[in-house]
Amino acid sequence: MSENKEKLLELKKVTTHYGAIRALHNVDMVIHPGEMVCLLGGNASGKSTTLKAILGIVKVSTGEMYFRGERADNLSIADRIVRGMAVVPENRRIFPKMTVLENLEMGAYLRDDKKGIKEDMEYVFDLFPRVQERLHQKGGTMSGGEQQMLAMGRALMSRPKLILMDEPSMGLAPIFVERIFEIIKQVNKRGISVFVVEQNANIALGIADRGYVLQTGEVVLSGTANELLNNEDMKKAYLGEV
Amino acid sequence: MASKSTKVKKTINWIPWLLVLAILAIVVGRIIYLGTVHDRFSSAYFIRAFLESLKLGSLYALIALGYTMVYGIIRLINFAHGEVFMVGAFFTYYLFSFSPYPLYAAVIWSIFIAFGFMKIIELWRGKLKDPVVLASGAFAFVLATYLLSQTTVNFFVALVFSMLLTGVLGIVIDKIAYSPLRTAPRNSLLITAIAVSFFWQNFGLLVFTNRQTPFRPDTFLRNRMVFAVGDGTVRTTMLSFAIPLISVILVVILTLFVTRTRLGKAMRASAQDAEVAQMMGISVNKVIATTFLLGSMLAAAGGAMWGLNFGSLNQPAIMGILPGIKAFAAAVIGGIGSLPGAVIGALIIGFMENFMTAIFPKTAEFQGITEFKDTFAFILLIIVLLIRPSGIVGEDLSEKV
Repeated sequence: MSENKEKLLELKKVTTHYGAIRALHNVDMVIHPGEMVCLLGGNASGKSTTLKAILGIVKVSTGEMYFRGERADNLSIADRIVRGMAVVPENRRIFPKMTVLENLEMGAYLRDDKKGIKEDMEYVFDLFPRVQERLHQKGGTMSGGEQQMLAMGRALMSRPKLILMDEPSMGLAPIFVERIFEIIKQVNKRGISVFVVEQNANIALGIADRGYVLQTGEVVLSGTANELLNNEDMKKAYLGEV
Repeated sequence: MASKSTKVKKTINWIPWLLVLAILAIVVGRIIYLGTVHDRFSSAYFIRAFLESLKLGSLYALIALGYTMVYGIIRLINFAHGEVFMVGAFFTYYLFSFSPYPLYAAVIWSIFIAFGFMKIIELWRGKLKDPVVLASGAFAFVLATYLLSQTTVNFFVALVFSMLLTGVLGIVIDKIAYSPLRTAPRNSLLITAIAVSFFWQNFGLLVFTNRQTPFRPDTFLRNRMVFAVGDGTVRTTMLSFAIPLISVILVVILTLFVTRTRLGKAMRASAQDAEVAQMMGISVNKVIATTFLLGSMLAAAGGAMWGLNFGSLNQPAIMGILPGIKAFAAAVIGGIGSLPGAVIGALIIGFMENFMTAIFPKTAEFQGITEFKDTFAFILLIIVLLIRPSGIVGEDLSEKV
């Protein structure tokens, strides 16, 4: 038990299936409190599935998952959110026909403490002044970068212990990608653990503490960011150096 | 992408306004022309037609909202909705015409009424096991049992009770027929909806009646109203004002619910992106149940006022069909999935059916178009689908991924 408490999230031999097709196979993974971990891999390697399994959208077929020392693989999505998970989905996926304010409110859907919600909203405004400027605008009218900020703000509104991010760099201008990762780091510095699924290995390893590399549903490499950056196989396959 | 589409919109924005202007011109022209043809086409004649259209349109709106809400959440065209409307009308009829009930029957009714009331309070409190919800359920149960067993229920009480009962019915239909098919292909769901529709038609024939049922509750709403306009008098009933008024009140309450309350916002979020709504911890099943509850309640209100307006209920197997598909057409014309769209579409159909026949009446040289009025909704539906498939206020469907 005491060992589990030091780990915020632990996956033990997690396997998942889509119908008869195996998506993940015996994935072991640990995230410590306050840590930033990235999950790398090519297309269809099971990156997004891992994230969905952690949040509970995809059922774990065999294996165990612990969140804050508690068995979590049978919890509902809502229960996992109440215990401190939040997600920034792939392609941002904000609610386009709701106002920015309503989008943020949806992030705090399961919370009842009005005062806390207000504080967290102030924090989001601090982090993203642009979001505050557009508070009463429809989410769909914002630019891609602004939507990414809103999606992150929405995730922060549940006052999470762990933020799961699915491809934050996708479809954004390079200059904005840098800015978003800066913000991710800033959020991480507040003690919120971050789990980033990312194709862009260079930029992800640039700020992450540790990383895992997934290939056809299995973890093939793991280590600190530096180890991975200097790994020969890694360089060939993902970092674009020959 | 976004800037591109707004640009396109700006350039074609004048077309609908031109259309509205043309229609208005035709209407005004016809009114002036008819005035010269015969005395009976006085201002009173047109005012009466206007009131009738408004009344019919608001009845369609109450039904259309149910179609559009359910479609918005689970992308199902709920063909059983017309039958829910029919059952709601018959519930109202039974409540006011056979009360006072013997105690055991009153208790059975009241159990469902109380459950419906608890579901309503739950919308605000969030949990069914909340003490306030349980207390209000007990209160509703006692009150309903008393009213049904000791008094002759008046129309308004019957309307409210029927709405609660029909709301529960909507939830039950969803739980039994639709929820096992949440992950099934959409066609399975559609065929199930048709089956549910047939089931209630035949249930109605078997249990309710197989003939036209008089629907004449003792209420002031049926009082005659006569007022002078210009050189004529308009003869109508209080219903001409009461039905639109009640509809407006219900639509306003619905709008406040979806824009102000947490669950209402969750409903809109689920309609826009159900998967992400789930990722926010929103219980999609709860949202769906709420949708069926509210949609069925509005249909019940529509059904009760439909009976009041026409003085009778058609036999159950056919009562729901025509109003149901016309309201469905209204929802599509307005833009399915959109609440204001459903109301606008329904009003348009109400006016087409009534006001248009009034400005093209039977005269010496023209036989009139009254006989074809049931086809107008569908003609308009075809036109709208050809020109603007997303409906009048619906967003562009092609942009949805």
